[in-house]
Amino acid sequence: MSSHDPPTPVTPVTPVTPVKLVPLPPFKPDLYERAWQSVPHPTLPLLATTHQKSVTVFSLSTLSAHSSLTNGHERSVRSTTWKPNLPPHKLCLITGSFDSSAGLWRWEDEGQGGSGSLEVEMTGGVEAASEDKDWELIVVLEGHESEVKSVAFSPSGQYVATCSRDKAVWIWEDVGASETDDEWETIAVLNEHDGDVKAVAWCPDTNRSGRGRYSNDVLASASYDDTVRIWREDDEGEWVCVAVLEGHKGTVWGVQWEPNPKTDRFPRLLTWSADRTIRVWTLKEEEDEAEGAPRHAFGGLGVIPNTMRRSLKEEWNCTAILPTAHTRDIYSATWSPETGRVASSGSDGVIAIYGEEASDVDGAVGVVTEDEAAAELDGDVLMSNGHSQSKPEASKQWKLLSTTPNAHGPYEINHVTWCKRYDAGCPPEKRGVEEMLVSTGDDGIVRPWQIS
Amino acid sequence: MDKDNANPTILNVSELPTRLNKKKAAATGKVAELEVDIVLRRPEYLSAPFCDLPWASDDTDSDDGFTIEPIDEQEIYDLISTISDPEHPLSLGQLAVVNLPDIYITPSPSAAAAADPNTLTQVLVKITPTITHCSLATVIGLGIRVRLEQALPPNYRVDVMIKEGTHSQDDQVNKQLADKERVAAALENATLKGVLDKMLETCT
Repeated sequence: MSSHDPPTPVTPVTPVTPVKLVPLPPFKPDLYERAWQSVPHPTLPLLATTHQKSVTVFSLSTLSAHSSLTNGHERSVRSTTWKPNLPPHKLCLITGSFDSSAGLWRWEDEGQGGSGSLEVEMTGGVEAASEDKDWELIVVLEGHESEVKSVAFSPSGQYVATCSRDKAVWIWEDVGASETDDEWETIAVLNEHDGDVKAVAWCPDTNRSGRGRYSNDVLASASYDDTVRIWREDDEGEWVCVAVLEGHKGTVWGVQWEPNPKTDRFPRLLTWSADRTIRVWTLKEEEDEAEGAPRHAFGGLGVIPNTMRRSLKEEWNCTAILPTAHTRDIYSATWSPETGRVASSGSDGVIAIYGEEASDVDGAVGVVTEDEAAAELDGDVLMSNGHSQSKPEASKQWKLLSTTPNAHGPYEINHVTWCKRYDAGCPPEKRGVEEMLVSTGDDGIVRPWQIS
Repeated sequence: MDKDNANPTILNVSELPTRLNKKKAAATGKVAELEVDIVLRRPEYLSAPFCDLPWASDDTDSDDGFTIEPIDEQEIYDLISTISDPEHPLSLGQLAVVNLPDIYITPSPSAAAAADPNTLTQVLVKITPTITHCSLATVIGLGIRVRLEQALPPNYRVDVMIKEGTHSQDDQVNKQLADKERVAAALENATLKGVLDKMLETCT
């Protein structure tokens, strides 16, 4: 594709299929202090919100507090992750804290003998956990030299990734003999980022593949050094960086894998940044990738670490920049497994929703050039309709569907996530099916939003 | 410990920009308020450090200062010029680390008379470290950001940057100061918090 075409003047994007965000009553109680992140349980109607030195677990049925994790960390808890694949009466969270450690916590509903109150809750019950049940801090994962910024369980629950201001990503493996035997070992310390590592994310199971000499698990990390790195385990059990994604012009605040690809291709990556852009990256899947590494996947040879073998590389290209919707840092974005829509939020207090046109998703995918990216950053050109129709232009597929300013009044919004509805306001037949958005702000409010 | 700059240039207190000077200069200034200021103003010899913020005193119309009159550059200056330098017994105003012309408010306070409390207002402060390699530039910037975030309403977004060409690592410092997560973590560091508290002690 030519990068010499002058940008065509365009008018602002008008929503194609207008989407409206309707605020639902916030979760109770208000936290009255900055809350960082709210993570839905993979299967149960629970949401874990990190704030100050604790985590409050909310019930998605009652929209009120279920339980809380306190007295485990000396400094703020920045992030948390649910252990997947546990029976419904057992809960397990790992917390990442500014105190440089990660904590593994468990909550068990002993009284229910295996068929816990959580299941009752899911079918419309109301009770919050009784007061005498509590979360217990079981294991502290120590090793990072400074604040832990993000923690993530792998899809199987076998691995946990943590990352820190110390520029490292650590991978820990559950080597315990049974579920209750909490023994964890460090299996990799990845030191290739040049700045704080802000977020880690594991590729979900769907469409994931071993790709040659690699195992199934794939990890992505986002950094203050403006890059994203992709990590895989080779046939010798070594975790190696297989790609460096360069293009963002500021701290990459986060990364998420495509949760439910519509075709059989490898999941794409969504990244968001202090440069106020959200980017989509696509793996170039080809048969003969072992022969001759593509140079531009690394933006120049200078950044390839000596320890990396050429044949191990993957080529990831930025295939879309979402339409401009934010005027300050984008702290969070979330990709829906149901609708494929993306929602984003950040310092400007705006919640934006984007949709991807369904057609041609698996057709020829254009690569966004640096010129186009720069124009997008300047706000001069909106990628969604600024280019001639003849080119395969992936970014044309993304449209801005709605923007909601002041979603938390004047406050910054640190996190947004899609999440299933279980509350009484949702018709019973749609509980556990219908999606809502949940935003978490500096005002300590965790607010659900209905999409209409 | 050696100071980064043992002999900084120091401005005379009386030369620093104040609300009072501005009002005298402005023919349309509010006479009644001006008189109150003059009557209640502490003598110069008691004003060390000089923290006579007009709206911060109970005796003036300060109660709704945020809503009646938009916050202007002078008010921002008054909030941060009294911060103490971490290594000299002087204020950031006296050391000309903060300067009134290097404070920018967007949208401009004159344009945003009837401000919606939800409308975002950006305050950009460009600081001038006393020497180009001053290692305390980050701490000073952090102090200014913390002071303004504590004092201003929540619709204000505070950006602190090193003034172009005055510091050898300005990009690096700017990026740190703009990083919300790093700022939040820094405030939980007891040593750094102690330094910041000391710097802000001289603000009222």
